[in-house]
Amino acid sequence: MADIESSFEFSSSLTSSSLPPPRTRIFKIIVIGDSGVGKTCLTYRFCADKFPDKTEATIGVDFREKVVEIDGEQIKVQLWDTAGQERFRKSMVQHYYRNVHAVVFVYDVTNAASFRSLPAWIEECRQHALGQEVPRILVGNKCDLRHAAQVSTDVAQQFADAHSMPLFETSAKNPYGNEDGSRNNSDHVEAIFMTVAHKLKSQKPLMLSQPPSRPGDIVTLRQEEEDRGLWGCSCWRS
Amino acid sequence: MKKSRSVGASSQLNGFGKQDAESRRKKKTAEIAQALNVTPVDVATLRRMAISEGGLLTDEIRRQVWPRLLNVSVDQIPEELEMIDRDNNKDFNQVLLDVQRSLRRFPPGMPDEQRAGLQEELINIILRVLVKNPQLHYYQGYHDIVVTFLLVLGERLATALVEKLSTHHLRDFMDPTMDNTTHILNYLMPIIERVNPEVYDFMQQAEVGTIFALSWLITWFGHVLSDFRHVVRLYDFFLACHPLMPIYFAAVIVLHREEEVLECECDMAMMHHLLSRIPEDLPYETLISRAGDLFVQFPPSELARGVHQRSQETAVSTFKDFELASTQQRPDVVLRRRRKEQQLQQRTLEAKHGKVTVARPTGATLHEAGGHGSDCGVGCCSVGHGELGS
Repeated sequence: MADIESSFEFSSSLTSSSLPPPRTRIFKIIVIGDSGVGKTCLTYRFCADKFPDKTEATIGVDFREKVVEIDGEQIKVQLWDTAGQERFRKSMVQHYYRNVHAVVFVYDVTNAASFRSLPAWIEECRQHALGQEVPRILVGNKCDLRHAAQVSTDVAQQFADAHSMPLFETSAKNPYGNEDGSRNNSDHVEAIFMTVAHKLKSQKPLMLSQPPSRPGDIVTLRQEEEDRGLWGCSCWRS
Repeated sequence: MKKSRSVGASSQLNGFGKQDAESRRKKKTAEIAQALNVTPVDVATLRRMAISEGGLLTDEIRRQVWPRLLNVSVDQIPEELEMIDRDNNKDFNQVLLDVQRSLRRFPPGMPDEQRAGLQEELINIILRVLVKNPQLHYYQGYHDIVVTFLLVLGERLATALVEKLSTHHLRDFMDPTMDNTTHILNYLMPIIERVNPEVYDFMQQAEVGTIFALSWLITWFGHVLSDFRHVVRLYDFFLACHPLMPIYFAAVIVLHREEEVLECECDMAMMHHLLSRIPEDLPYETLISRAGDLFVQFPPSELARGVHQRSQETAVSTFKDFELASTQQRPDVVLRRRRKEQQLQQRTLEAKHGKVTVARPTGATLHEAGGHGSDCGVGCCSVGHGELGS
C-alpha cells in the first residue's frame, strides 16, 4: 500500500474529505532497448532540457524526472533509464518493472541489430505483465546520422503498426536536426514524452491504478480499453 | 570549493599538523620501502599500509605494491603482450561501445590523442583477459575497473593484475548470469540492519532494493567517483582486503548518510535517486576505517546467517551465501588486530548466539540457483585470496 500512496493519490468520493490535499501524480515510464541506442541521452534530454555532452554506460538503472503541466495539472514524469546489456536484465532490472505506466522502446536507426532486438524487448515487457493495454511507444534514435541509417522509416512504421505503437524518429543529440544546421522539428524528445504523458492523463486514475504488490492485496480496476489499436497520433511535428 | 574547505581544515592544525602529516607520510613511505626490500617481501605490512590512513600514497608506490597484494610476480609477466583478433571476438562490440563512452575516466586535460591511445590499450587488456579465460563474462562496468589499473600501471602490468583480479575478487561478477552478484548485494541490508535498524526499516519500507549500489560494487566505485585519487585510494583498500569489503564500504556510505536517508521521501524512486549519487566530499579515511571495523564486528559468516534467516521469508538466499560462510578467510593483519581489541565484544556475541555454525543448503533448488560448482564464485575468491595472502 505504501508505494501506491506515494505514487498516486486521487480523491475518491468516499474518502476525499479525510484525505490531505492531493499530491502531484506520478507517471512512471520505463525506457528500454539495446546497449548504446541512446536511452540515457533521451531521458537526460527530456528531464534536463539539454543535451548531455558525454554519457556513459548505464549500470543497473538510473532515474530521472521532470514536472510537466498538462491541462493545468502538475504531473511528475518519472523516467527509468535501464542498462542495455542483457546480463543485467534478468536479476537486476525486474524490480523496476513494477508499477510501470508506460514503456518507451528505443532502437538506433544506424544499427539494424538494435531494431532486430525489439521483439525480444517486447517479450520482456510481456513477461512483466506489460502488454498492449499499457501505453508503449517506439523511438528510432540518432536520426541526425541519417546518412548512416540502416533502418528505414517505412520498415520501422510497419513494425510499429503491427505492435500498435506510435513511432517517433528523433535525435537526442543534435539540437539542430538537419545537417544544414537549421533548427527544425527533428528533435521530438519533448513531444515524445509529452505524448505519453497526455495519453496517461487521458486514461484517468482507474487505468493508472497499480497492480497489487501482493496477491489479494487490492483489486485493480482497469478501464476497458476503448481502442486496442493505435493510440494517440503518430504525428510528431512540433 | 572542496579544495578551500580542505585547506581550511588543515590550517586549523596550525602548521604543526601539516608537518606531522608530512613526517607520517615520510615514515610510511620508508616502512613500505622496507617491507618491499626484505626477503620474502613483507606482504602483511604492505596490506596494513594499503588499508591505513592515506593508503599507498602515490602511483609509483602502487606500481610496486599492487602486484604484491595480488601475488603477481612481475618478473614472470611476458614482455610481449598477445595480439587480439578483434574481428572474431564476441565481446568486442560491447567493449568498444563502453570504452568509447568512458571519457570521464581519463584525466581532464589529457590530449585527445593520448586518451585515444589509452582507450585502445583498455580494449586490448579487456579482450586479452576474456580470450584467455573463457569462463569469464564481460559486464558493463568491468571497463571502469580495468581503466583504473591501466592508468596506474600501464598496459603490461595492468593486463597481469586485471587477469588475477578477474579470476579472484571479480570472479562472481563475471559469471554467465548476475545471480551471484545479486547474492553479494544481499549482504548490504543485513549490515545496515545491524548498525542502524532505523535506517534499515526505513529503506525496507521504501522498497528501495539494492540496485543503487550495483555500480559501486561491480566497479569498486570507479564508475561513480569523479576524483581519481579517491578511486585509487579505495583500490588500495580493496586490494588488501576480503573480496566482500566493497559491500561493507557501500553499507558504510549509506550509514554515513543516515540523516539524508531518513529525511528522504519514503519512496523507492526518490530513495534510489538519493542513494545512487555519492556525495563528492565523503570522509574517505574515516569510512574506510569504519568499513574495516564492521567487517570484523559482523563478518560475512555471521551475516550469512542473517541472510539465511531472511531467505525463509523471501527466498532470496542461495547456495553461495552459505558457501561464503564456510570459506571465511583469515582477515588481514589490521583487521585481525582490531578483532583482538574487540574480542570481549565478540565473546559476548558468541555467548548470546551460540557458536557460528555453517548452514548447508539441502534443497536442490539452492544448488541450481548457485549456477556452478563449489570451487568457483565467492568461494573461489576466498580460497584464492588465501593463496594471495600466503
